[in-house]
Amino acid sequence: MVNKVNKMLDDARLKDRTMTGTDIKITARNVQVHYGTTHAIKDLNVDILNNTVTAFIGPSGCGKSTFLRCLNRMNDTIASCRVTGDIRLDNEDIYDKKVDPVQLRAKVGMVFQKPNPFPKSIYDNVAYGPRIHGLARSKADLDDIVEKALRRGAIWDEVKDRLQAPGTGLSGGQQQRLCIARAVATEPEVLLMDEPCSALDPIATAQVEELIDELKQNYSVVIVTHSMQQAARVSQKTAFFHLGHLVEYGATGQIFTNPKDPRTESYISGRIG
Amino acid sequence: MTDLSSVPGAAPAGVRKPRSLYDVDALTKRRNAAEFRFKLYGIVAIAVSLSVLALMLFTIFSDGVSAFRQASVTFPVTLTEEKLDPEGNRNRDEMSKVTTIGYGKVVSGAFAAYVTERGLTVDGLDDDGMGDMLSRDAAAQVRDMVLSNPDLVGTTVDVTVLTNGRIDGYLKGRVNREEALRDKNVTPEQLDLTDKLKAEGILTVSFNWGFITRPDASDQRPESAGLGVAILGSAYMMIIVLVLTLPIGVAASIYLEEFAPKNWFTDLIEVNISNLAAVPSIVFGILGLAAFINFAGLPQSSSLVGGLVLTLVCLPTIIIATRASIRAVPPSIRDAALGVGASKMQTVFHHVLPLAMPGILTGTILALATALGETAPLLLIGMVAFVGTHPSAPIEGFFEPATALPVQVYGWASRSDPAFLERSSGAVIVLLFFLLIMNAIAIILRRRFERRW
Repeated sequence: MVNKVNKMLDDARLKDRTMTGTDIKITARNVQVHYGTTHAIKDLNVDILNNTVTAFIGPSGCGKSTFLRCLNRMNDTIASCRVTGDIRLDNEDIYDKKVDPVQLRAKVGMVFQKPNPFPKSIYDNVAYGPRIHGLARSKADLDDIVEKALRRGAIWDEVKDRLQAPGTGLSGGQQQRLCIARAVATEPEVLLMDEPCSALDPIATAQVEELIDELKQNYSVVIVTHSMQQAARVSQKTAFFHLGHLVEYGATGQIFTNPKDPRTESYISGRIG
Repeated sequence: MTDLSSVPGAAPAGVRKPRSLYDVDALTKRRNAAEFRFKLYGIVAIAVSLSVLALMLFTIFSDGVSAFRQASVTFPVTLTEEKLDPEGNRNRDEMSKVTTIGYGKVVSGAFAAYVTERGLTVDGLDDDGMGDMLSRDAAAQVRDMVLSNPDLVGTTVDVTVLTNGRIDGYLKGRVNREEALRDKNVTPEQLDLTDKLKAEGILTVSFNWGFITRPDASDQRPESAGLGVAILGSAYMMIIVLVLTLPIGVAASIYLEEFAPKNWFTDLIEVNISNLAAVPSIVFGILGLAAFINFAGLPQSSSLVGGLVLTLVCLPTIIIATRASIRAVPPSIRDAALGVGASKMQTVFHHVLPLAMPGILTGTILALATALGETAPLLLIGMVAFVGTHPSAPIEGFFEPATALPVQVYGWASRSDPAFLERSSGAVIVLLFFLLIMNAIAIILRRRFERRW
């Protein structure tokens, strides 16, 4: 157990991890989520910081993806899903009646578990968001936005010569980075990532993780992951979910070395989950 | 067939005797035999259906191909002034007082005279007998020609007119001499003359354009009956059906699939659509009669009413096909679009619909193909009527009486003269040809749109 954690710490270089952000970006208070009769999230309270990578870990079905999807109201598309409580982005209630989820999602981008590029060209994949939000005034503008997004997605060098090639023709890791580029092209303030590396090989995973580390300069990143190593490697704050409860939330180093809750310790050491 | 539980003769549970891979045990043999039998059933089923299809095509083509060839005779007619223009002033109105009876005498007289002049007369065949060999349509044809150009009166022109259905049938092998003895519409002498005319090149059998362009003809003139009105009517109806069903069907499907809340009411609508797809089409015919003709007062027998009724027949099928292809678009595409901040409508029209397009188009064209072959509802709204004139061009043509290909098949098949049976099979060939074209379009469109990168 001790060995394992030490190894993980080496891996994660937790010691030189510093908090880059202190402002609170998202606050959630008393959040309850029901799917029909299932109570998926029970009384959840959390503050997510700006310019910080926050990892959600926990066993399957514990509600971490559900909560992530609450943050940009993707759960609205599920008819049986009911969200109560108070979730605020920059102190504005995102579930307020006046809020159009379309505007919210332009501010809170999302990357999904499975790479899901549109069946269009690489260029059109990235340009789609800026186009529908009217971010570009001219073709040259749009070209700039696409190039910038692809560079931030760390995929520009690989695709710059074939921007008109289909996005679905890329490899899995490239597709996922394309999806990240697509998400950042709309200039969001928060980037939600739902297990972005679960379908990728270790090399592609390393590239995406490096990318996440860079993205926190500009965004608040929330990442759901099944890999505790990954959580330890990329995040500054970690939240542990179990059976719909947020069990423990704190600095990543503290969660992995000195968990306060016995359930967190059991999960981290591999006894539950 | 695949019984997983207790197999007799198997080893006791949990114990497996060591055995060589080369020995095939009883269980494996049985499984292989079952698989072999299943494949055999499949092959037999396919062989049966293919042979039925081959038989159907063979009968249709052996009966119907001859409808595309038609016998006609060419001979000079002197258009005598005293008979065709008694007033002598080339006035169309006065010339039209001469009916086809008058023209008939001129034409058959000219034919008999020409045969005599060429020395081809047959013993026992008088001038009237020779004239009877021509189609009753010949007089009308010459009359139309003269009325459209009165200056022809007084001249001698070569005309090509159809022979009557029996002579045509004799050349196609449908009528023989023994039958001619018993048949009061044709005599063996006429058949002898037919052989002579054919040898002289006066009587020729050529491609029957009239079958495709001409309107229907009465019982006595099977040789001049054509599919022109039916093809136009079917085409008009397909235009109406396409213009109405595609937008309505696609809009309804998108709304039901993407926007409608899931509750008892939408469930009810869904059940109703599925049920409507199973309603016999003749019921839609009764509905069309009551709603479009009796209530709305639209002209009966018109392709507009036919198109509206066929729209009702097609809509449930198209909605079901469209909903299925919308549902087949992976949800990850919707998530991706919503995730970058597209609205529901943008998601549907930019991403879901293009991906569902091949399925929608295939479903639509197959539904159209069904509509093209639909007969029963058209019988009820009066499209089975005899229509002797072509409908004019759209849009007013939509309101004029027309008939449809399958209805024409039905109409001809129920007439007594065997020449109409040949025409009926010929019409089926035309119908199959159009169906083939539509299916080919469906395949081409699917290939084109299915380029999903």
